[in-house]
Amino acid sequence: MAAVQVCEAEKVYIMHGVRDDLRVDGRGCEDYRHMEIETDVVSNTDGSARVKLGYTDVLVGIKAEIGKPKPAAPDEGYLEFFVDCSANATPEFEGRGGEELGSELSCTLYKVFNNVNSLELRALCIAPREHCWVLYVDVLLLQCDGNLFDAISIAIKAALFNTRIPKVTITEGEEGGAELELSDDPYDCVRLNVENVPCIVTLCKIGHRHVVDATLQEKACSVAGLLVSVTHKGTITCVRKVGGGSLEPESIFEMTETGKRVGKALHAPLMKLLRDEEAQGKQRQKVGFLG
Amino acid sequence: MAGLELLSDQGYRLDGRKPSELRKVQARMGVFTQADGSAYIEQGNTKALAVVYGPHEVRGSRSKALHDRAVINCQYSMATFSTAERKRRPHGDRKSSEMSLHLKQTFEAAVLTSLYPRSQIDIFVKILQSDGGNYSACVNAATLAVIDAGIPMRDYVCACSAGFVENTAVVDLCHAEESGGGTVMSLALLPRGGQVALVQMDARLHQDHLDALMEAAMTACRSLGQVLDGVVRQHLQEVSVLTAE
Amino acid sequence: MLKSKTFVKKTRSGGVMKIVREHYLRDDIWCGSEFCVECKHDSTVLQKEAVIESDLCSSPHYIIPDTNVVLHQIDILEDPLIKNVIVLQTVLQEIRHRSAPVYKRIKDVIHTAAKHFYTFTNEHHRETFIEREQGESANDRNDRAIRTAAQWYSEHLKKAPDAQDLKIILLTNDKANKQKAEECGLSAYKCEEYIKSLIANPELVDRLALSSDDINEITTGKVLFPEHLPLSRIQAGIKSGSLLQGTFRASRDNYLEATVFIQGDGEDSTEVLIQGLQNLNRAVHQDVVAMELLPREAWASPSSLVLLDEGPKADSENLEEENVVRGRLPDNALLKPTGKVVGIIKRNWRPFCGMLSQSHIKEATRHLFTPADRRIPRIRVETRQAATLAGQRIMVAIDGWPKHSRYPNGHFVKALGNAGDKETETEVLLLEHDVPHQAFSQLVLSFLPKMPWAITEEVIRPVHLYTLCCNAMVRTLSGSFHRLAFSCIWEVNQDAEILHTRFTKSVINSKASLTYAEAQMRIDDSNMNDDITKSLRGLNRLAKILKKKRIEKGALTLSSPEVRFHMDSETHDPVDLQTKELKETNSMVEEFMLLANISVAQKIYDEFSECALLRKHPAPPLSNYDILNKAAKSRDVVVQMDSAKALADSLDRAQIKDFPYFNTLLRILATRCMMQAVYFCSGMDSDFHHYGLASPIYTHFTSPIRRYADIIVHRLLAVAIGADCTDPDLLDKHKRSALCNNLNYRHKMAQYAQRASVALHTQLFFKSRGVLNEEGFILFVRKNAIIVLIPKFGLEGTVFFESKDKITPPLTFNEEGPTLTVQNHTFHLFDRVKVTISLDSSNIQHQKIRMSIIEPVIPGVSVDPPEMEPQTKKARLNP
Repeated sequence: MAAVQVCEAEKVYIMHGVRDDLRVDGRGCEDYRHMEIETDVVSNTDGSARVKLGYTDVLVGIKAEIGKPKPAAPDEGYLEFFVDCSANATPEFEGRGGEELGSELSCTLYKVFNNVNSLELRALCIAPREHCWVLYVDVLLLQCDGNLFDAISIAIKAALFNTRIPKVTITEGEEGGAELELSDDPYDCVRLNVENVPCIVTLCKIGHRHVVDATLQEKACSVAGLLVSVTHKGTITCVRKVGGGSLEPESIFEMTETGKRVGKALHAPLMKLLRDEEAQGKQRQKVGFLG
Repeated sequence: MAGLELLSDQGYRLDGRKPSELRKVQARMGVFTQADGSAYIEQGNTKALAVVYGPHEVRGSRSKALHDRAVINCQYSMATFSTAERKRRPHGDRKSSEMSLHLKQTFEAAVLTSLYPRSQIDIFVKILQSDGGNYSACVNAATLAVIDAGIPMRDYVCACSAGFVENTAVVDLCHAEESGGGTVMSLALLPRGGQVALVQMDARLHQDHLDALMEAAMTACRSLGQVLDGVVRQHLQEVSVLTAE
Repeated sequence: MLKSKTFVKKTRSGGVMKIVREHYLRDDIWCGSEFCVECKHDSTVLQKEAVIESDLCSSPHYIIPDTNVVLHQIDILEDPLIKNVIVLQTVLQEIRHRSAPVYKRIKDVIHTAAKHFYTFTNEHHRETFIEREQGESANDRNDRAIRTAAQWYSEHLKKAPDAQDLKIILLTNDKANKQKAEECGLSAYKCEEYIKSLIANPELVDRLALSSDDINEITTGKVLFPEHLPLSRIQAGIKSGSLLQGTFRASRDNYLEATVFIQGDGEDSTEVLIQGLQNLNRAVHQDVVAMELLPREAWASPSSLVLLDEGPKADSENLEEENVVRGRLPDNALLKPTGKVVGIIKRNWRPFCGMLSQSHIKEATRHLFTPADRRIPRIRVETRQAATLAGQRIMVAIDGWPKHSRYPNGHFVKALGNAGDKETETEVLLLEHDVPHQAFSQLVLSFLPKMPWAITEEVIRPVHLYTLCCNAMVRTLSGSFHRLAFSCIWEVNQDAEILHTRFTKSVINSKASLTYAEAQMRIDDSNMNDDITKSLRGLNRLAKILKKKRIEKGALTLSSPEVRFHMDSETHDPVDLQTKELKETNSMVEEFMLLANISVAQKIYDEFSECALLRKHPAPPLSNYDILNKAAKSRDVVVQMDSAKALADSLDRAQIKDFPYFNTLLRILATRCMMQAVYFCSGMDSDFHHYGLASPIYTHFTSPIRRYADIIVHRLLAVAIGADCTDPDLLDKHKRSALCNNLNYRHKMAQYAQRASVALHTQLFFKSRGVLNEEGFILFVRKNAIIVLIPKFGLEGTVFFESKDKITPPLTFNEEGPTLTVQNHTFHLFDRVKVTISLDSSNIQHQKIRMSIIEPVIPGVSVDPPEMEPQTKKARLNP
């Protein structure tokens, strides 16, 4: 992952600040940086969102394609994840440089989002064992300034909220083969229920305390962190230790509790923002990258 | 069902433009903070981001360094969701590699590389949404990004595509026009001197039409040049207001 | 760049791809009216004096038709009376998707300046573009777009001075659309309503197509035919393999029978039989249909019966009888895959020529129309001019075929003239064979140089060519005139070996103008020894060598009797009819023409390997030779077919003593085995061989009459020798290939038309000559007939042994021979017979030559030779 060099004195300064609940940029330990969210930014996707968290900048595009259900879950559709760590973010990612990080991120995202608890996968099924919707969730990393997981998860939730899947009706062929017919009405489409879609909260252990939404400098002072995915009810759906160092069981417990609290609080304002934006409908001036 | 009628008898194209009209162009410089230079451009529904890093030390093998000028390093990639049919890989395929090479050639012709011997300038472009004229959008975005990075150039590099429909040269093709099977020419121009930085053409075209097509593409490039110039001037004004504060 | 462009996105889902297209709206699209002072148009299309006298609207008005009106009433819109029509882009786009022929026709109308049809690009106009609303179907949106545009026009033109009286009239047959339009304050009429209101031209009403409302009125409402499947079901069925797609070909002889030709992969195509009116299910000849195969138990064999749809039948009549397949008991060996039509993929209706069968009820307006082409069903038309049209050839277009109607419904398009007239009948056969025969347009003629026209001095570079300037056009060149030409000049040695070939543009100063016969006489007359005659002899000698060489390589000389009419100089009616006689000079000219063609073919192919226009003649598959083989065997002659050379040699050897005409007959049969020669583009094909001429490459460069293929070859050659430069279309191999296909199609249709024309003139000849007795030879033997060739006239006719009103004599057909035994006489191939020829005009639309046997005398079958008219010479054979 893109890293910055931090000298010892700086490290000490950051660690002491965290101990006193006062971070370099003036935040408390459980505060997020300024965040900007915009949906429907790429018109040829079925759903898209862009999230800026500090200088971290991610773009998520979702495309729905018709595929075959997996044999293990014949009556469910599924999600596919791809994270493109582009050279735009940092020259280190040029060529195949970003692939490792990309696959690490996409594996985690798959675990967090592709299950019936977070999304009604059954609603994506068109005909059991025959056809289902496959949602290709493509994440494009445009700028890295720490805390990628949280930014990506919020962008994915926003993009899923924005996703409109064309309506498909099944007509029975004469020999039992189902024929798919797409509705020609562009307004005739299916929305996804994103209520239970979790958000990821990454906590970084710095000294004896932990912080949410760590910047790259803070991250450089941390040996290990914990990733927690939390739904709007406060249910934890996934916990994963990240980073090279080790953590004590007690601090894992503490961090999980913090993650639960912070994560739960994240959902309500996010949903409000998304609904407000949608309410503006066609009148909304799209900003995208021009703002 | 009949195919698309690319040019109506009344002289309007699929999207309502006349043959010599460009799509709506919108652009912004300085989109990102971490990079040395960055820009975003929309030409109709084709959207591209360009980022410039450098000039900096040559990364990786030192042997790549040139003693008299800077190395231009380009990478072209497309977001997997940028096309109507989802792409499996953002870059690394044959077409992207070709595009990277074209960009490199274009900017080697325009950037004053001799000012930065033994160094490297990275130009990374990304297509966010593709609706024809990807190469042109990339060149135009990269020009703005290079200017944003403060790297001197001979002139703006402006690129535009042109094609031939019903014996008429049409410029700034959208995807439907590009995929019609006819000739598509991409041309990058240094408008002030009128030099061509790159020209490329697919499919056959009769020699008689070549001049008309080139002329149409060059005129389009010149008008694009004016738009880019406007963007740069406005950006400078905004930035100078900010710094004055 | 236009600054005021706003843009609206349009999404269209095809498959699951989300396609986003931009849609620019403009404010520089003008209304095109002479009244308007606001729009900045350069030229106007819609006139100030837009007056069509109508009861509904006495003031000037512009007409805006909706999509269905254009689609169904194109015949009306094409009428010169209808002017000042605004065709909306929405309408034009819909038509483009729904019917290519109508699209072409409406575009032709728009391009006709005198019609004052204006295309308004409403979809890109800022004030007339509308977005589809939630829950609105695509059709409803388009109807709304049409209304919006109509409204815009009426408001826009209100502002113009002197346009207070001007009205915009929306024509729509859709009730809901009409009502909504009236709610918006627009004048909207049904097309029929409007046309009927026109004061000056009551006959226009006949050309109205029947709308579905009217059709419901006519019919009893009883469903006679199974419903057609919707297109989506058809597509699904074809994909899953439960349905088959193919071209419907109605039987010429039996109106209850048809075949569907299903194109498979490569050679693998099949024909499926369809029998019975309900199974045919309203398909019309040449339609592309979807069909379902019947179970194997229900398969049938073609009935080989001749059945004509007799007389009008009411819709209430049961179809049962017509659904029962009549014919002999199924013979298992002959069973063919049988099916039924379940849906129509594409109608291929065109206007049909034919005649009206007047209704028996006096003052009735609905009549049945009988098309000239027997494969087309009868059509119900509505007309008030039935009495005038009786006995005339007319054209009728089909509008639709509802499921409760026995016949398709159509409308009258135009009258061609009295049936049986030479002009009318020629017109009919040209129309029926799709041969364009309109006069050249002004645009085309404008490219011709002004008359009088002469070669300017500087063009002539006097190169004195005293080498044998072989000009193949000996016969068409008139003396003492300078002619511009394209020449192929060979330098040859005594053995006719080509030493050097040169192509050049040339000016020919003809020494003499000779007909074939004159040239022949000079060559033969040993007293003549002038330069011209000597050079003719030289040419002739070379031609003979060339021909010999060609024949050694396996070129075929096949004959097919060519008929020539001697026309009466006053009436242009044929007065005599005879087969063309070929002289040595014909062969001489032919030889050099072939040589020129081959040389040019090679030249243009060398220069343009991708886009040379060539002509090939594929070798026929061996199975094609069956007839020839049997025919030769019947006379104990062996014909080898392994190669062109073997065939040519064995045909040369095939002689029978005392039967000199045998060889010609055999060659006629061999011609029938051959494939059709075709034009093709060298870049699109790999097999160039010309089988008949035994040449590896060939094209058409010279010809007595100018063919379009020659012109293209000339242009290519001109570029090849640097006399001209290329143009883009010339070098586009796809366009070239499309052109070849068109040439081949036109050529085929022209040949059909030519045959039909020969038949027509033959009929006219026999009409004037009465009954003739002639000798002939049996060319083919069929199950119930023999086909006889009359060498004197080059005329082929069928002698039937079965007829409706006579008892059929005992017939025994032997397929091996083939022979046919009638009573006690057995007919073999090539037997000499004597027949009487007369014209059968019992059916005015299908007059035909009737032949009956005179000799050999078979009691009950042959007829007595009728009285000969004194002017006729005794028929004699010229072997």
